Amino acid sequence: MTWKNVCSTDAVPESSLKQFDIDGVPVLVANIDNEFRCYPPACPHMEERLAETGLCNKGVLTCTTHLWQWNLLTGKAVAPSENNRQMLSYDAKVEDGHVMAYIEEELEYDFDDEDDD
Amino acid sequence: MKITISKKEQFLDFDIGEDERILYGGLAKRIPLPYECATGTCGTCKARLVSGEVTSHWDDAPGRSKLKLERGEFLMCQSSCKTNIEIKVPGIKIDQLAIEPIPKHSVGSITNIEWLTRDVAHLSVDLNQEFNFKAGQFVVVQTETVVGGRAYSMVNYDPGTNQLVLVIKLKPDGGFSNWLGNSATIGTTLQVYGPLGAAIFEPANDKDLLCISGGSGIAGIMSILEHACSVNHFEQNRGEVYFGVRTPADAFYMAQLSDFVARSNSNLTVTVVFSDEYASDEHSTLPSNLNYMDGYVGPVAIESTNIAVEKASAFLAGPPIMIDGTIRSLIVEKGFGPAQIKYDKFA
Repeated sequence: MTWKNVCSTDAVPESSLKQFDIDGVPVLVANIDNEFRCYPPACPHMEERLAETGLCNKGVLTCTTHLWQWNLLTGKAVAPSENNRQMLSYDAKVEDGHVMAYIEEELEYDFDDEDDD
Repeated sequence: MKITISKKEQFLDFDIGEDERILYGGLAKRIPLPYECATGTCGTCKARLVSGEVTSHWDDAPGRSKLKLERGEFLMCQSSCKTNIEIKVPGIKIDQLAIEPIPKHSVGSITNIEWLTRDVAHLSVDLNQEFNFKAGQFVVVQTETVVGGRAYSMVNYDPGTNQLVLVIKLKPDGGFSNWLGNSATIGTTLQVYGPLGAAIFEPANDKDLLCISGGSGIAGIMSILEHACSVNHFEQNRGEVYFGVRTPADAFYMAQLSDFVARSNSNLTVTVVFSDEYASDEHSTLPSNLNYMDGYVGPVAIESTNIAVEKASAFLAGPPIMIDGTIRSLIVEKGFGPAQIKYDKFA
């Protein structure tokens, strides 16, 4: 796969998250003050479905299930203190009013890969 | 049976009894296993089987919908070991100990059943041993005849007691509820495991308390208020309690809440919020030092609270839809950080 058209920028209002299916790959688009990021739609903590549990507020993602947080621009952990898991992400850009994501393969979390000791 | 938790090059072994739930056996050994509801619904206690066999005791557990079964994931709260096993547990710090108090198995005997409303019962249980818990914690209760454990928060706060006070709300098709309504009597025995839960009140944190509860969620809040009043927490700190019920006839613990307000140096307010019926003429029978409003408890609390976020600690207890909506409002509208919000989400 290569750059894929995920959605119109109008489809994801400011400070919100929305999930799309791109050729069978689920992609979560975040609009942070009209900067767009593309993530797999699972929480890095316990793989909760962020389209349902995720809250985008002031550039921070809160998964409301366990209240873990990440910076949506960088994907870096914010809280709680034991959270040092980086969000997986697809490269994203905006072209002609569309959010584009570079998708080679579906990204998935696997707690075998955790490196938080 | 031996359980080995592996994480990269680290290994941690512990033994549990035959048929004992892996989560319960592990926590009793102070293994810091992740969990939330401990009764099969939330999915937080998932683990992955690397080798050996486990027995699932509840194949229809709602939390199983969050598992990747093809990868060998299972719920530790609903599974026991069929053989020695090796597992992987997400996020576990295997060099740390689970927080105290350490949960354990007890046998309880019902000493009192009091119906507080048409569908809410207040249950007193004497345990066969001393029981330490923190305000806001819960236990898992099992009976001889009802399959699966149910989680109930303690209403009382009494360190070192052997008595638990629980609130049980009858559900139309609930097995435990039917058991309570039809079979339970004084002297009936129960299996009790606990204490569990991280929505704990810590008076040393010196916070103003914002407590928002729906229905029987008031149970853990009552324990928190008892602890807070017993250490004069409201001499220096404020508290606001919002208690949502459907109608005035569904309200309970009114006298006890009124007593907490009277003991609070005027720093605690309690607001009872009616969702289905606002019958002002019925308020004359309710305590005059409580407030009464109509609406849904979460939005009413968010709209009404005067607790300053900088010094606030929020305790939420109730059904998931209430908790989730209130968490979102506290973060977006009130600027709460995640460390300021503790919650007990009913399944």
